[in-house]
Order: sequence, then structure tokens, then C-alpha cells
Amino acid sequence: MSTEFHNLQELRRSPSLLTKVFIQRDYSEGTTCRFQTKFPSELDNRIERPLIEETVKTLNSFYMEAEKIGGQSYLEGCLACATAYFIFFCMETRYEKVLKKISGYIQEQNEKIYAPRGLLLTDPIERGMRVLEISVYEDRGSGSSSPSSSMSSAGSSAR
Amino acid sequence: MPNSAGKRFKPTKYIPVSTAATLLVGSTTLFFVFTCPWLSKVISAAVPLYNGLVFIFVLANFSMATFMDPGVYPRADEDEDKDDDFRAPLYKNVEIKGIQVRMKWCATCHFYRPPRCSHCSVCDNCVEDFDHHCPWVNNCIGRRNYRYFFLFLLSLTIHMVGVFSFGLIFVLHHRERLGALHTTVTLVVMCIAGLFFIPVMGLTGFHMVLVARGRTTNEQVTGKFRGGVNPFTKGCCGNVKYVLCSPLAPRYIVDPRKKPSVKIQPPFIRPDLSDRQVTVKVSDNGIHSTITSSKSKKRLDAPDDNETQPPLPPKADRYNQLKSQLTSSEESSLSGKTHPSTPAMYKFRPSFGTMPKVHYHVTGEKIVMPDECKTSAILEEGVRSHDYKSEPNLDLPEYTNAPLHRTFQSSPFQLDSDTINSRTLSLKQGQRRPEKGQLPALQLQTVISTPYKSIFSPNTLSNRNGSLSYDSLLNPSLSPVTASECMSHRGMPSMGFHSPYLPTKMCHIRESEMQRHQVAPTYSPVIPSRGMGRHSPHPRDRDPSPVRYDNLSQTIMASIQERKEIEEREKRMRHGRSQTHIYVQDSGLFDGGYNPPPNACYPDGPRGPGSRGPTPPACGGSRDNLMGVGVVTYGQRTPVLRHAGSTLGRVPRTSSTSLHTDHSSTNSSHSKTTAPEGSYRSPAHQTHSPAMPRSPSYSHQKLSYMSAHERTDSPHLGGPREVMKVNGQMDCHPSAQGTTISPSRHSNVKKVTGVGGTTYEISV
Repeated sequence: MSTEFHNLQELRRSPSLLTKVFIQRDYSEGTTCRFQTKFPSELDNRIERPLIEETVKTLNSFYMEAEKIGGQSYLEGCLACATAYFIFFCMETRYEKVLKKISGYIQEQNEKIYAPRGLLLTDPIERGMRVLEISVYEDRGSGSSSPSSSMSSAGSSAR
Repeated sequence: MPNSAGKRFKPTKYIPVSTAATLLVGSTTLFFVFTCPWLSKVISAAVPLYNGLVFIFVLANFSMATFMDPGVYPRADEDEDKDDDFRAPLYKNVEIKGIQVRMKWCATCHFYRPPRCSHCSVCDNCVEDFDHHCPWVNNCIGRRNYRYFFLFLLSLTIHMVGVFSFGLIFVLHHRERLGALHTTVTLVVMCIAGLFFIPVMGLTGFHMVLVARGRTTNEQVTGKFRGGVNPFTKGCCGNVKYVLCSPLAPRYIVDPRKKPSVKIQPPFIRPDLSDRQVTVKVSDNGIHSTITSSKSKKRLDAPDDNETQPPLPPKADRYNQLKSQLTSSEESSLSGKTHPSTPAMYKFRPSFGTMPKVHYHVTGEKIVMPDECKTSAILEEGVRSHDYKSEPNLDLPEYTNAPLHRTFQSSPFQLDSDTINSRTLSLKQGQRRPEKGQLPALQLQTVISTPYKSIFSPNTLSNRNGSLSYDSLLNPSLSPVTASECMSHRGMPSMGFHSPYLPTKMCHIRESEMQRHQVAPTYSPVIPSRGMGRHSPHPRDRDPSPVRYDNLSQTIMASIQERKEIEEREKRMRHGRSQTHIYVQDSGLFDGGYNPPPNACYPDGPRGPGSRGPTPPACGGSRDNLMGVGVVTYGQRTPVLRHAGSTLGRVPRTSSTSLHTDHSSTNSSHSKTTAPEGSYRSPAHQTHSPAMPRSPSYSHQKLSYMSAHERTDSPHLGGPREVMKVNGQMDCHPSAQGTTISPSRHSNVKKVTGVGGTTYEISV
């Protein structure tokens, strides 16, 4: 009995995915990679507005840096041409470097800001850079809207 | 070359690439073996070197064009498209540098294709910046490999020129020994080079123009920017720079990397809501939030409850006003309450906190206050049992039980118990469906002016800029008409299907239920959307719905109810026909918000899209079958429509023709000579002045739909006749203006014009 109860508590503690919020791409400036900085209303009471906006703005700046057409990209292209593109097997392109940076940034943001709020950012590259997916997890810690109301109240009382 | 999984090995698709590779490598090898030795001796050693370098460059670019991922989009996750799949519009508009660009829904990949993206049928993938599928490299040319393809063309042209020229020099110097092996081989190589030079040069020139203009082959060939402005161009130099110097884009089809997973452990931090206007949350369950606070649950709503109390008085006033306006509007909650939220709802999947600004919750809160503990417990139960349920809940009776009444007793508003009952019911329903927050909010909307609209505005609408305001139409049940219906069908379980915009599946499910409540649904889809706009205090992304049922006078409401009763009777008499009538009625109602596929019955074609305001881009109809129009509009008729809709272009014609022959209608001449749309259009246009907005033509249009649909459903042949008659009447009596829907009912049809010019007809 007690073990069952314990498992139940554990079960209750692991949050389940409630919904996913998608921040779409902002195509107002063409096909360059930008995400909309508009705050999604579903997250209204899960996270502060400036945090999301800050994250999106930083991601946008990363992508802008990655897609910048300038000296470095030109040299990279020339070098690739000169080596008959074998350089791609050896070296990482600038875009890939920035993507790694972005991945690290998202991981850090998740750990510091989003996970404590029951949210999780998904790297846009996994979605083809079409959306920035934010997974919203159910707030079970305080006994949320789970169907097993009696159980959760029992659980919370037990805690 | 990316291949979708499960594709059979088709050797034929490798023929062009094999041929190209063979010709290229073979010819060049022959050139090097037979021609270059002499050339290096006679002219210079640099000749073979130069040719060698060019050839290597050609090969490298050929390989990159062949083997590089062009920018394939991975299929969208199920979660991403669950709300988009069923009835969302086929197109979504997005503005790029001031120009409207259409994003089409890809049924295979389950997302709206980003601008310049296209789906390659050969590769069965959506490709970013899709140029074309090149059979010579057996690969799509897209964003990532366009440069290599272009360079391949350039270098191949140069290589061919070089080979041909040096071969010519060789041959000219060996004219007297043309039969020799070397000379013969060189001649053959020259012929090959010369033969393929023309098409390759042509293609190279074509692509040079494309690069300079900043267009893709796909855009050029489909004439997307013909006579228009290309929003993607960066100027000639910018375009060339973009093609040649841009960094290599990343692959989207990535191998699943093992990322350190981030642990998520509740309890979660919640933002401080004290300084925000927080209202509603959860499907606008004011009561619910109260409950949670009483139970000291850390719901999102909890902290807000306290804060929302002060603003109560103004809302109370509004509530009273609304209450008087729509006596039976609360009943709408009954109808809509259990209907599954329309797919668009899923997007919001509200966790409780996500329903913003439904001031309503304040009033709800007030209601339960005195009786908090009890009611909260009761309501809590109700909520729990139906959390996240997407199927319609047919347990209406349970809602009419004690909890509601108990809730009422505590109402501070001294409201009529009946209305309160229903209102609480709606509240309860709202609670029950936290994820369908939108619906409950809508239900309440008529009761309390809730800026429910805001629920739609945030992501759903922003993501569908300018597209059909399907979302609003999805919300059922708020219409006062529905409410009146609900009143008459009090005892019925929620079903009320109410929204014709339910996904096909839902429509199927509900079909049987709809038989019972046919009348109820008819008004719902339109009404809520109309009503919503007015109530929302928040700026919306979409244009407000033109028709406002809350503007209607009570007489009209009463007349609507009367008509419903009449329809009910008729329905019993003729099953099919009543539906027809309903649909016909709906034609006007759907006017503002719903665009059937333009190629189908669209009598006022040129006029229609424009008059439909924000919806035109979505004229393509819903993504569901591309004829979801039929599906969603006529929920009950889903099975019929399903296959009828797919031949919308054809069926109406035949159906109308057959129907015409069935009974000599004055329309017969019209329908036989022209397409049904045209036939319907002409009378509509001729007989109705433009001032008479769309309703007659809509009626025609809808009638034509129905006739198409009726046709496939034999028992309903009575209906089409009715329809034809109506058409006949409409044609012959322009003044009637679509008044009588059925011959049996010669009542007056009142035309009500809503905001925005849409009109609908209500027979009084």
C-alpha cells in the first residue's frame, strides 16, 4: 500500500506535457530566419513576457549572424571551391558553428529559465526552422487539473 | 539524394543521371586520352591542365548538386498540426516586405509551406527555396544546392566550350587523317559536346537570368511574379551575392542527437501577475478559478482571483445588460458545451491559465462566493471528470443538477434563476474543457461580454494572417439563436453539434446526434464569430465578424426560434428537406465568414472574394480534402459531401441539370447552358442589385451545393426540388430575394444586415 502510494506520488511528480506553443517565423523581411517576437498568449501566466522576448531576440540575432553574407562566407565559399568541396568533410561551416552556439544557448535557457517554469524550448532546427516550439508541462506540483482529483488531493495532503 | 522512406527502387529514375554522368565522364576521359596528348605537345601543357581543372570543378559541382540535401523539411510533428489539419484554410497569407505571399498547406508534410518552399512530388518532400527537380542529377535543387547546380551549369558550359574548341583544333590539324582513331574519337567527342551544348547553354543562360532577378525556376515557370513585384529580390548584385556567397545552409533532416535532457520538476515558478490584467484563465471558469483558490491549488488562476474582484461591478452591469438582451443565450452553452472544440481550439490547449481575459470569470467567481466550498467541490468534480476531453460530452443532465442550482443561490446578481442556471452550466462546461477554453469562453460570451476574442488573436490568428476566420466560426454555440434552440431542446444533451466547422471526424461522430438537433447547429457557427468581435476589447488580428447577432432585436430572436420550430416540424416530415432549408438559411449566415472553394459554387465569383474581406486567401477551402468546405459547412452531410465535394466542379452541374429535368423549373435553361455556378450567378447578378449584398447569390450558391449534395443522397431528392424551386422563385421574383426557402413556407424573410455588409435571411 505504501509503495503504491509512493509510486503514485512519483508519477504525479513527473509532469506530463500539456500543450505545445509554437512561435512562428517572421517572414516580414524575406526568407531570412527570424522568429516572431509576439508573445504567445498561452504562456501568459506561465512565464514573464520579457523573458520570452529576450530569448527570441537572441535567437534571431544568432540566426542573423549565421546567415550574414559577408567576407567570411565568401572566403568559405572560395575555399570550398578550391578544394573541390572536400573542405566540407573536414571543417565546420560558419552556420554550423552558430547552430551549435544556438543549441547551447537553448539548453542553457531551458535549464535556467524555462524548466523551472514548466516549459521547454525545442531547437528550431529540429522543426526545420519553421517554428520555435515551446512545450508546456502540466503543473502537477500543486495538484493541477488532473482527472484524479481525489488522488491528487490525497497526495497533496500526504505531502 | 534524400529519399523518403519506403520508396520502391525505381531504376528508371536513375537513367537520366546515369546517362549524364556517363556522357560527362566518358567524353572527357576520351578527350584526355586521345586529344590532349597532341594538344599538350603542340600547343601547351597548360591545355590539359586547364581542362583538367575545369573538369574537376564540373565533377565536384555535379556531385554536390546530386548528393547534397537541397533543404528538405522534415515532416511536422503531430502536435504541430493537430489544430491545422482539419478545417484550417488551405492558404495562409503572410506579408513579406509589404507584399502578400500565400503559404499553402502541405498535406504530406503537415505544415504551411514557408515562402518559396514547394513540395517535390518526385522526392516527396517539401524543399526550401525549391527551384526544380533536376532529372540529370536526380535531385531537387533547393536552397542548399542551388549554388552548386548553377556552378555546375556554368562550369559544364565552359568545359564543353573548351572540349569542343580544342577538339576542333585537333581535327583541323588532322583533316587528312580523319579515319584515324584519335581523330574519330575526337570527332565523336566534339559531336557530343556540340549536341549538348545548345540545351546546356540555354539552361545556363536561363539560370543566369533567374539569379540576376532573384527568382527560382518554380516561380518563373508558374508565373508567380509575372507583372508583379518579387518580394525576395535583393537587387541584381544582392541576388548574385546571395547565390554565390551565402553561407551553406544547415540540414534540417538531422540525426537525432543525444542531448542532455533538461529535467522538469514541478512545482513551477509562476510569473507575478499582480500588475497584469488577468482574467480568465481556463476556459473562463471564473468558478473554476475560485475553486482552485479555495482548495489552495496552485492553479494559474488562483492568484488572479483576488485581483479580479475589484473590477467586478462594471462587469456585473454588462452582464445584466446582456442577460436582458439574450434571454436564452445562456442556453447556448448547452448546445455548445459538449461539442468538441473545433480543431483550432486545440492549438490553445489551454492549460488553465491560458484563456486570457475573460472577464467573465470575475462574475463567475462572485456567483460562487457565498457557497464556495460546496459549489467548488461539486464543480471540481464536474471538471475533473471531463478534463481534456475532446469528445462531446453527452452528460448534460448532470449539469443540470444540483451544482448549478446551488451555485445560483449564491448569486449576487439576483439574476433570474433560469438564466443563472444556464450560465453556470456554461461555466461548468467551460471548466470541463480546459483545453477547449475557447469554446467555453464563447459560450459565456453571450452571457457576459467577454473579450473572448483575444483567445483567438494570439497565436492562431497571427499564424494565419488574413486567412479565413475559421477560428471564430469554429466556436459554436454562442449564438442567441442557438440559445433559443437550446431552450427548446433543453433536455437534450449537449450535443448540439453546433459547429459546422467541426472536423470531418467529429462530424461523423456527431452525425447521428445532429439528426436530432439539426436546427441547433445551423446558427451557431456564424453567430459566435460575429458576436465575438464586438465583445473583444482587445485589438484583434482579424477583422471583426460582420454579422452581430447581439445586434438583433428580440423580435428577430423570437422569429428565429419560431422558424426553428417550423423547421423541426418540417424535418419530421421530410428529413432531407429540412436540412436543405437549414442550409439555405445558413447561406446567408455563412456569408461573412466562410468561403467555399471558389471553383465550386461561387456565384459571385469576382465579387465574392473581395467582399469577403480577410477570407479570400483562404478561398481554396479547408485543407481537409480541399473540399472541406462541404464537410464543414454541412456537418450532417459529411458523408455525402465527402465525395460530392471532391467533384464540386462537376456535380453541381449534373445535379442541377438532373434536377431541372426532374421538374421543369424556369432555371432549367440556365443550368443546362452554363455551369451551375454560372447559372446561379446570372440570375443572382441580373435580378439582384449589388446593393443586395450577397445573400441571394449565396443562397443560390448554397443551394447549388445542396443540390450537389442532395444528389448523392437519394432520399433527399425532395430537397433538391425544393432547392430548384427556390431558385426558380428567386430568379423570377427578384424582389423576393431569396425569401422563401421552401415552397411550404411562404413567410416573410427578413433580411438582416450585419456590420460589414453581410446579410442573412431569417424567415419570420
